[in-house]
Amino acid sequence: MNMESLERFTPWRSILAEARTAPAEDVLPPLGHWRLAVGDISLLVERRALWVGALLLLALLVVSLAYLALGTGRLTPPAVWWALVGHGDPVATFLVQELRLPRLVAAWLTGAAFAVAGCLMQTLARNRLATPSIIGIDNGATAFAVASVVGLGTSLAPPAMALVGAATAAAITFGLASGGDTRGYRFIVAGIGIGAVFGAVTQLLLAQVPIDSANAAYPWTVGTLNARSGGAILTLAGGCAVGLPLALVLARSLGNMRFSDAIAQGFGVPLRRRRIQVLSLAVVLTALAVAVAGPVGMVGLIGPEIARSLSSSRGVPLIASALAGALVMVLADLVGRLLLAPIELPVGIVTAIVGGPWLLWILLRPSRNPA
Amino acid sequence: MNAPAPPANLLQASELRLAHGGTTIIENLALTLPPGRVTAIVGPNGCGKSTLLAGLARLHAPGGGAVLLDGTDVQRLPTREMARRLALLPQEAGAPEGLTVGDLVRFGRQPHQGWLRQWSSDDRRAVDEALSAAGLEALAERPLESLSGGQRQRAWIAMTIAQQTPLLLLDEPTSALDLGHQLEVFELVCRLATRGRTIAVVLHDLASACRYADYLVAMRDGAIIAQGPPAEVVTETLVAELYGVACTLIHDPASGAPLLTDLRRLS
Repeated sequence: MNMESLERFTPWRSILAEARTAPAEDVLPPLGHWRLAVGDISLLVERRALWVGALLLLALLVVSLAYLALGTGRLTPPAVWWALVGHGDPVATFLVQELRLPRLVAAWLTGAAFAVAGCLMQTLARNRLATPSIIGIDNGATAFAVASVVGLGTSLAPPAMALVGAATAAAITFGLASGGDTRGYRFIVAGIGIGAVFGAVTQLLLAQVPIDSANAAYPWTVGTLNARSGGAILTLAGGCAVGLPLALVLARSLGNMRFSDAIAQGFGVPLRRRRIQVLSLAVVLTALAVAVAGPVGMVGLIGPEIARSLSSSRGVPLIASALAGALVMVLADLVGRLLLAPIELPVGIVTAIVGGPWLLWILLRPSRNPA
Repeated sequence: MNAPAPPANLLQASELRLAHGGTTIIENLALTLPPGRVTAIVGPNGCGKSTLLAGLARLHAPGGGAVLLDGTDVQRLPTREMARRLALLPQEAGAPEGLTVGDLVRFGRQPHQGWLRQWSSDDRRAVDEALSAAGLEALAERPLESLSGGQRQRAWIAMTIAQQTPLLLLDEPTSALDLGHQLEVFELVCRLATRGRTIAVVLHDLASACRYADYLVAMRDGAIIAQGPPAEVVTETLVAELYGVACTLIHDPASGAPLLTDLRRLS
């Protein structure tokens, strides 16, 4: 017995011993990085990425705390804490746990999903305008979801319909932009056209149905966190739990895909396959987020832009984009709730008011990195 | 047990046909890059030199025939394995903004890296060697945008050197450079060949091709019209055929390489 267990552990021992006695070769990391290495495994951590992530996370936590505390029925931070852990007074607990927390979680998830999808599409197209909202994916998802809400002969739930719509819009845009070429204005213009068509379809659907159905579908047309359904949030949570790690797996290839095609392929990126993977992931994340919050796709433009302005240009800032997107979404919804209280401004309108000028600024400012 | 023979990294094209959107550019082309040598591909504008290079690097799928690497059709090699064996520097290489020289050269290690192998001692060594081979150690932390054309070109070449591929294809690496910087790049290329790499360079300039290449491939209208050591294949007739230019051929007293003088346009 004793011998057996000893034997069983021997390999581990010898591996550990080897790791200790192996010549401690000090591999100098590139400037601005930390290198973590065990045996043959080596990881590089960019210091700046770490700081940016920590900073955005901290900002997100502070804003989230404010989100839980502020509104009709203002709470102190300690009261929020006690309500969160379930030891506060019943009203505060109800306010935080039943009303604000689910909405906060929805804001995190949709913000992160929109922003990561935006970052993926921008990298794929090598164009900062090529976010899912601008190339019509949001509108496609919305049109199909609205069709399902107003009961247009389908039994599919809004998330599934949104997915079908997003995929349809993306497929048509890619088809019109003649296949694999996702570069340049042809792609963007095709996307804008498709987005306009789907936007018109949404309006047409709303005009055709009784006013009550149209009212039920209204949140879909502006984008709000007020009308979220529990099922859609769960689906989005699942999508994020799978999709965000997948995005990180693709990050190395994405970094290489910022170079011209010949060079990216020279780095060993199987371009055609990667493009389909990146596009599919962006479409799914967008669709699931639209199913929760409607078309708040402006976050897909603002989130990655903030992330990129803070990060170095060595890689594609996916984590920073997710955090920045969540931050923008929480902040925008908080402003929407507080600004004209007790009237609530839909988050889609807040992001549009901020995002419109932002878009103009991107277009008009002296270009530092022409995309 | 017999160890498998080390790959010879012999790159060949056989009956190669390359087309661009319906237009055939190269037809029935056969070529073998002599291992460990510098091959220059020359010819007039639009003769298909760059297309051939892209075809050899697997960027264009052939319409017929095949490009073979040690006898295997390159279309059937995984992209990553290809990237470990062959590096291409295209004519218009675009990098993301804001990278430093070191960042760019480190990207050359991508085919050798993975999620659990992000920075090995091999990577460090390869990057350091590439920077020093290109004479860029002092500029490693400078942003690419702040460099002169020659320095930037050397940075790109350093990136392909760091890739440590036995095969290296360069498309007009000297076209934007002044004389001094051209020499710098050519000397670097020759040094790499003496260390055993097989190199193919597309060149505009026949004189440099004669001076630096071990092997010359002359192309016209998508076909090879002459190939061999420059001293053997470059003749007054060939120059006339390639460029429509009459000349007198002499031999460089210093190197023995063919030298063209008294150039006149034939009409």
